[in-house]
Amino acid sequence: MSRPTAADLALLVPELILVGMALALILAARRIRRGPLALVGTILAALAAAVASASATSSGGATGFGGMITVDGYARFFKVLIAASLALAALLSVRCLDREQVPRAEYHALLLLASTGMMLAVSSLDLLTLYLGVELMTLCSIVLVGITVERPTSNEAAIKYFLIASFASALLLFGISLTYGATGTTNLAAIASVLRDVGSDPLLLVAMGLLAAGLAFKIAAVPFHAWAPDAYEGATAPVAAFLAAGSKAAGLAALGRVCLVAFGPEARTLTMILAGLAALSIIVGSIVALAQTNMKRLLAYSSIAHAGYALLGLIAGTPEGGSATMTYACFYVFMTLGAFGVVIALGERGESLDGFQGLAAQRPGTAALMLLFLLSLTGIPPTAGFVAKFSVILSAVRADQVPLAVLAVACSVVSAFVYMRIAVLMYMKEPQEPAPPRFPVTMSAALVVTALVTLVGGISPGSLARWTVPP
Amino acid sequence: MTEYIGIAVTFVLAGGIAGAMVFLSSTLGKKHPSAVKLAPFECGKDPFSLPMGRLAIKFYLTAILFILFDVELVFLYPWAVDFRNLGLVGLTEMGIFLGVVMAGFVYAWDNGALEWK
Repeated sequence: MSRPTAADLALLVPELILVGMALALILAARRIRRGPLALVGTILAALAAAVASASATSSGGATGFGGMITVDGYARFFKVLIAASLALAALLSVRCLDREQVPRAEYHALLLLASTGMMLAVSSLDLLTLYLGVELMTLCSIVLVGITVERPTSNEAAIKYFLIASFASALLLFGISLTYGATGTTNLAAIASVLRDVGSDPLLLVAMGLLAAGLAFKIAAVPFHAWAPDAYEGATAPVAAFLAAGSKAAGLAALGRVCLVAFGPEARTLTMILAGLAALSIIVGSIVALAQTNMKRLLAYSSIAHAGYALLGLIAGTPEGGSATMTYACFYVFMTLGAFGVVIALGERGESLDGFQGLAAQRPGTAALMLLFLLSLTGIPPTAGFVAKFSVILSAVRADQVPLAVLAVACSVVSAFVYMRIAVLMYMKEPQEPAPPRFPVTMSAALVVTALVTLVGGISPGSLARWTVPP
Repeated sequence: MTEYIGIAVTFVLAGGIAGAMVFLSSTLGKKHPSAVKLAPFECGKDPFSLPMGRLAIKFYLTAILFILFDVELVFLYPWAVDFRNLGLVGLTEMGIFLGVVMAGFVYAWDNGALEWK
């Protein structure tokens, strides 16, 4: 085992920035209980990490730490996306932290550390570093879900999330150990080359199933989704937004790399597993969302359905499919953060579906933004959601999965009913509650950014193509 | 499979000795039962009781902090065993690691987790 060198550490600059800021926040925790210092630090760290990720040696494919960590185009894309979701989640959480009396420094330090784990997971070329990253993300997320200690629902959600997440981690680890048993390596590329030489093995099928199940927990794909609605509902809304956006993107990225790089030679089995997960997620997510009256639960089921759509791109096992999933992940992060942002901005009122009654009469701007995000989540042009859905469904068709593509389109129609119900409440009902107070400027800024990405992504669909480089 | 024979022998020996002790003492030993002797033994504590008693939360806090730092400091042992070979790089890495652990300790101290109140 060679010693890590400065060149190795240079690959981890974004992670080091985030960890450094998190440590600084932890050390200064008692002195920055009040005031915006923690928020400013987090935003600066996220921006610095995004710049560092984007400007990492552009030749791509540099690896370090004995071939365990890389900064290829795939890793850079997701690192920037994770940094963006970190910054947006931090901006959106301004008022909630005061209302729920959340300790600021700790909250932001946990956000930073969770993002570090995500970045590590998306840039790892080895199952063990991938596990390490995913686990760091999950542990921090669990504490974030339970950070509003005064609220019993929050505690309950954290405990449920903890139990299910540890179960998922056990599955993931078991899958990794079986993969190691069958191939003698945990390096993704080495696994692929062993598979090409030796061919398939029943043990490996079990390993693939376990790995897929463990990572499906992280992205909340059916039938491993049960934690998501409870965790999102119990958590304070910005945490739910961060879970739905950042951790899902990171989980997708990890799953994508494992599927495309390590198990590429086993495409047939992989297609079967992923197609099953995708079909179930799309159906269950779209249909169960119909019955929800709590906005956070509704968005949780919506995020489950979207995990299914994003998986459609990976089914083909082709680079084009990988790009489609990357596009989907990116636009999904922004439109979900936007929709959650409106929910957060409305405070107590935004938590329930009825709170949206007559919003258009009281706050036309907010209602228009929400409408934009809802249209995007449904997948109606000219929003980014349409581009994203189009690309993954196209890749499913190209992979000869026409029934699955038809199912995806049909469930889109079902989900349109879910989302348009909120639009109807906003525009066609009389207001029942007093107008919400003005939003803090940070929240408005976050909403504007998400709305811009959602619009620009829809108007110029090719804008992302340069960045979506599959592994 | 030959490398597992030692483990199998250990298992058999451990099970055999423990089983023999229980069996011999239950068949050969003298028995003078009394109420106290027949009670299930659990370190002098009543094994079944209604949860009426209250225990200050500060005990748990101390115990959790102890376990946390104890487990983290376990990483010092492998380094200490081989620290000559690891040299300056190893020392630097351990310094960084201890710095991070100490940051957690400072946080706990700073926020009053060590105050006995």
